[in-house]
Amino acid sequence: MNPVLPRIAARNLLRQRKRTMLLAGAIAFGIMIVTLINGFAGAFIRNVSENFAYLMGGHVFVSGTEYSPSGRRISVIRDTAVIDEALASSGLRNLRVQKTSQVMATLIFEGKSIRQNLTGIDLGHSSMLRDRLMLLKGTWEDAAQPDALIISEKIAKKLNVLPGDKVIAQFQTITGQNNVGEFRIAGISVDSSFIGSIMAYVQLDYLNSLIGIRNGEYMSLGIMLDRLDRSGTAASALYVTMKSMGLQLFERKAAQDGNAMTPFQAMIREQTRERWEGTRYRVYTIDEILSQARQIVVALDTASVFILVVLFAIVMIGLSNTFRMAMFERIREIGTMRAIGVQRNEVRAMFLYEALFMALAGSVAGLLLAFLAMAGLSLITFDPQSPVFLILRNGHLSFSLPPLRALFNIALIAALTLAAVYAPANAASKLRPAEALRTVK
Amino acid sequence: MAIIELRDVKKDYLLGKVTVPAVKGVSFEIERGDFVSIAGPSGSGKTTILNMIGLIDIPSSGEVIIEGKHTGGLSDRELTRFRHEVLGFIFQSFNLIPVLTVRENVEFPLLLGKTRVPRNEWDQWIDYLLEEVGLTGWKDHKPNELSGGQRQRVAIARALITRPSIVLADEPTANLDSATGEQIIDLMKKINRELQTTFIFSTHDAKIVSIADHVIRLRDGLVIENRRKGEDVNGTESEE
Repeated sequence: MNPVLPRIAARNLLRQRKRTMLLAGAIAFGIMIVTLINGFAGAFIRNVSENFAYLMGGHVFVSGTEYSPSGRRISVIRDTAVIDEALASSGLRNLRVQKTSQVMATLIFEGKSIRQNLTGIDLGHSSMLRDRLMLLKGTWEDAAQPDALIISEKIAKKLNVLPGDKVIAQFQTITGQNNVGEFRIAGISVDSSFIGSIMAYVQLDYLNSLIGIRNGEYMSLGIMLDRLDRSGTAASALYVTMKSMGLQLFERKAAQDGNAMTPFQAMIREQTRERWEGTRYRVYTIDEILSQARQIVVALDTASVFILVVLFAIVMIGLSNTFRMAMFERIREIGTMRAIGVQRNEVRAMFLYEALFMALAGSVAGLLLAFLAMAGLSLITFDPQSPVFLILRNGHLSFSLPPLRALFNIALIAALTLAAVYAPANAASKLRPAEALRTVK
Repeated sequence: MAIIELRDVKKDYLLGKVTVPAVKGVSFEIERGDFVSIAGPSGSGKTTILNMIGLIDIPSSGEVIIEGKHTGGLSDRELTRFRHEVLGFIFQSFNLIPVLTVRENVEFPLLLGKTRVPRNEWDQWIDYLLEEVGLTGWKDHKPNELSGGQRQRVAIARALITRPSIVLADEPTANLDSATGEQIIDLMKKINRELQTTFIFSTHDAKIVSIADHVIRLRDGLVIENRRKGEDVNGTESEE
């Protein structure tokens, strides 16, 4: 291809600066909007997963289920040594673990009651909880007491309690018997939206004693890794290790077998279908629990492509008309070029180069604008109690744009621009030289 | 052997539903190295004949033979290549590429086609032509920074850059004042002598016609005079 043609194309763009700026601006706007959506979607799943991971105390979880003599399914890990051994043998490094038990309870204080998920952990030593939970009232020293209860600010307001107040918790033991326990408010925390508002923390040993789990046992083990994206491989490694140790395990890919919406649901359904002796373990990740959040990301990404195409359909009409006009304006030039030896395909290529350069310039400008907008938006600090808190990173909006996604958007824009300009470019290439030279503008 | 031969060439244009005959059966030959004037009033068919010789328009009937090649059955690609290799064009309105500098405009045809010339030879040839047309000091200027005469000089250099055997000039002096027009014709004549390039130009300026080696006069799409210098109007050698 003649090297002078791209040069002429580039200079033709500069020749009509205002027109070029307008069209490239329209392309830039489209790219900016789509990049912002992609950037948001890219960070969305990571932020939601990280926030949930902190709320739930892990990226990877191990839980145990057994049947009681009466046939009731009980969630408990009794042989804690075997889990510790599996963890040690799995080769997983840089991890923090948290043993938890949970029960849904009704908290009662001076005639007021509210349902809460009581999570029993080692409050005195859980660095994971201390890292993320900010106490508005009360202290971590108080939280180390055996009957300590940490509740969210919202729940504290509803119950009208203050640190030091004693509340009654009503719940069922793992065998289904009704029971009550007394807790003392040790801390009131900043809650992290609706999930935070239904989470309350108590001492693991005390909760176990109340719900019928022996000392040292627990319901599930949360494993916090150094990186969220390693949760899948870490879970697989642990699963393989536990399997090799001869432990009973729920299949990790049960979703393929049933009609469940998520792998986690599939695992739960599998549990209801079967009956077994002893403890059967389940290894799952935060991503499997939140796979529906992934569907939101897919929806956002799909929407972004749709928006890009719709926005660009409008721009394409403008591009096509503008290039038709440009063809008419340059008709004598085209005639001259054809006369002195420029082939038809080279005339077409010249217009297509022009369109391509405009698309690339617009795309780069759009990306830069999007990055600026992202930087600006990520400076905004959101209230921790804001409903969007779960999608935030440290209280700020965050964006993550996979490079391939940006390249795809640019390639799509370039392809659509070339498609829009092809017809006028082709018409220009088919002009007969004498006719073009004869045309009076 | 004639470098150009037209055999009963006709050209009709369709204007709406009306067919307008622009050239009504023209035959003539042009010798290699001649300085040829196609003269006649407006609408006589000068530009149409030049366009057909230049292979940028196709005759409705008849044959255009250039350098012994029958051009009738050539495809658009072949015609374009042939134009590039054999023909040079000079237009009334100069028709330079506005976004290219003087040097780039002159160089442009060299970048077309498949024939490649060594770079230093290429540069020397461009510099030589720019010097010939007196634009060495203007090579980095854009066409809109030049006068009409200078633009036409650029067009002449561009027409010659591929060393064509034929240069076609459609009323090359029409948009110039008479003094500049004369300079342009003198320049064309000088190049015609030096490079033995066949020049064919259309004009209705009698003064310019007088310096041509060969005059083809048209009226209403027909040749009314076809005379080489030293021949009388009937084509026989004059006593002069």
